[in-house]
Amino acid sequence: MSAYTAFARSSFQSQLAYRNEVWANIFGKLVQVFARVAIWLAVYAGVGAATLVNGISLQQMITYALLGGAVMGATRPERVINEIGRSLKTGDISVWLLKPLSYPLYLFANESGSFLYRLLTQVFPTVAFTALFYGMLPPESLFHGAMFVAFWAMSFILLFLMSAFCGLIAFWLMTSFSLDWMFGALLNLFSGLMVPFWFFPEPLATLARHLPFGFVVYYPNAVYLGQLSVTQTWLYLGLGLFWTALFFVGVLWLWRKASTRITVQGG
Amino acid sequence: MTALIEARGVSKRFRQHKRFPGLLGAFKTLVTTEYTEVVAVSDIGFDIAAGEAVGYLGPNGAGKSTMIKMMTGILVPSTGTLSVLGRTPHLERMTNAREIGVVFGQRSQLWWDLPLIDSFTLHQRIYDIPLARYQDNLKRFSTLLDLTPFLDRAVRQLSLGQRMRAEIVMSLLHDPKILFLDEPTIGLDVVAKDAVRKFLAEINRERGVTIILTTHDLQDIETICPRLIMVDHARLIFDGELKSLRAALGSSRRLTLEFATDPGPLPLSSATLTADEGLRKHYLLEREDVSLVSVLSEVGNDRGLKDVALHEPDIEEVIRTFYQRRNAAALAS
Repeated sequence: MSAYTAFARSSFQSQLAYRNEVWANIFGKLVQVFARVAIWLAVYAGVGAATLVNGISLQQMITYALLGGAVMGATRPERVINEIGRSLKTGDISVWLLKPLSYPLYLFANESGSFLYRLLTQVFPTVAFTALFYGMLPPESLFHGAMFVAFWAMSFILLFLMSAFCGLIAFWLMTSFSLDWMFGALLNLFSGLMVPFWFFPEPLATLARHLPFGFVVYYPNAVYLGQLSVTQTWLYLGLGLFWTALFFVGVLWLWRKASTRITVQGG
Repeated sequence: MTALIEARGVSKRFRQHKRFPGLLGAFKTLVTTEYTEVVAVSDIGFDIAAGEAVGYLGPNGAGKSTMIKMMTGILVPSTGTLSVLGRTPHLERMTNAREIGVVFGQRSQLWWDLPLIDSFTLHQRIYDIPLARYQDNLKRFSTLLDLTPFLDRAVRQLSLGQRMRAEIVMSLLHDPKILFLDEPTIGLDVVAKDAVRKFLAEINRERGVTIILTTHDLQDIETICPRLIMVDHARLIFDGELKSLRAALGSSRRLTLEFATDPGPLPLSSATLTADEGLRKHYLLEREDVSLVSVLSEVGNDRGLKDVALHEPDIEEVIRTFYQRRNAAALAS
């Protein structure tokens, strides 16, 4: 087992140390999922539950709301941003420079461990529980189902890279707090977590479709619901991979700059 | 013999944006392009041979930590050259990292939420330590520093002393050739300090691990390090054996005598009067061989002596004395 798998595992285990938090988190997640479902129930109640709005049924919207929690619910971008911010501020970053390993990769392994933990203990139970009440549609087809998993994995990696990118910018601003807020706000709106892009007014919808945030919630969900054709699915997968690669290079570049600055200016 | 660590004219200067006080100043600070330059290390040079134990000593802000950081490769010297194990530390940081151990007294490298043993296992993975050697080292060091009773406890539940011992054990698991310790005994109680000192001295003697440690505590140096490097205001002011420094100036003890009634002027042959407050008189015992008993017997029983206090010179004082003498010598010449 490599050091990074060990990090992921230990991060998983660290989470177990705070058992009470699990229950509080499950409760919080339940409220969030219920709230999102309730919004769409109310919207469709206004137009009649059987009506299609922009070609979308209530059942599809409920499924969208449940799926939205699957990725976002298990990732905490602010954790990555704050972790980097804290290490920079306290100077703990120098401890990482002393070890024969890569700090960004360590962060990723760490985040993977807690992602898996939250997925298993919080997200799956709450989504399954809510689905029992409101019902959830199966994926549009086998292809769409398989592609959803691919989009979903990409969503996790992209979200991590974007958070790490933000966190590293904190190094020059010397504060991670404002970045964390700004990033959180952009993510809430442009990921499509609250409202899918098909309900966005123009030109906001066009803007949203061209930002990387959509790959976090909107595109995986749209694939699952069959809102993207087979060709479109492949196209957007390619586009998503492009954004991921871009942020990957961005994170490596910023980290190089940051470590040079630490070693030359002492942080 | 070639030196394990070679420093030649090493300096480190930090550039900081100038800060202005007050509310208006805060805005000015935001846009200023003025810099102030802080010299943390200035023109320091020394050689350290394999197997040596060196105490790096100096008051707060003298540039001790900066020097340690440069030797470990996480800071780049502004000028001068530095070679550790034949490499330039900051250029080959990763390779270097596998052959050195580093302990920061004020910065933990353990995993806070995990049982202590997990931090060690992670360390084994990070450094690719062969399992047999890892287990052997862990067993030996844990026994020596008495870690075994709390290996299964979460790090955040350990006392400072336990944690410090754990930090030191971890830094040695990959058999480093050099061990850097930045204030390893800071904040520890007398018992824990003693345990750490004895352990480090033993590691140095028996395993031949080269030790470089910074400290404020002269006691650390006395137990572990025969050689002393002293810095102040970023500069090297002494490099040599502790014995010679002590012989030169370290043995002056201060004696305070308190009387119930003022006995009047009281010159003593064995001690020099430095201040006379009437009821309280301060003396300097310059010679090591003068015993307190002989001083007190000279004072006698009939003077109404109430209380006696004897101060051993602490390190700040030794450095101060040393520095003052150096300045005085510079002025005289």
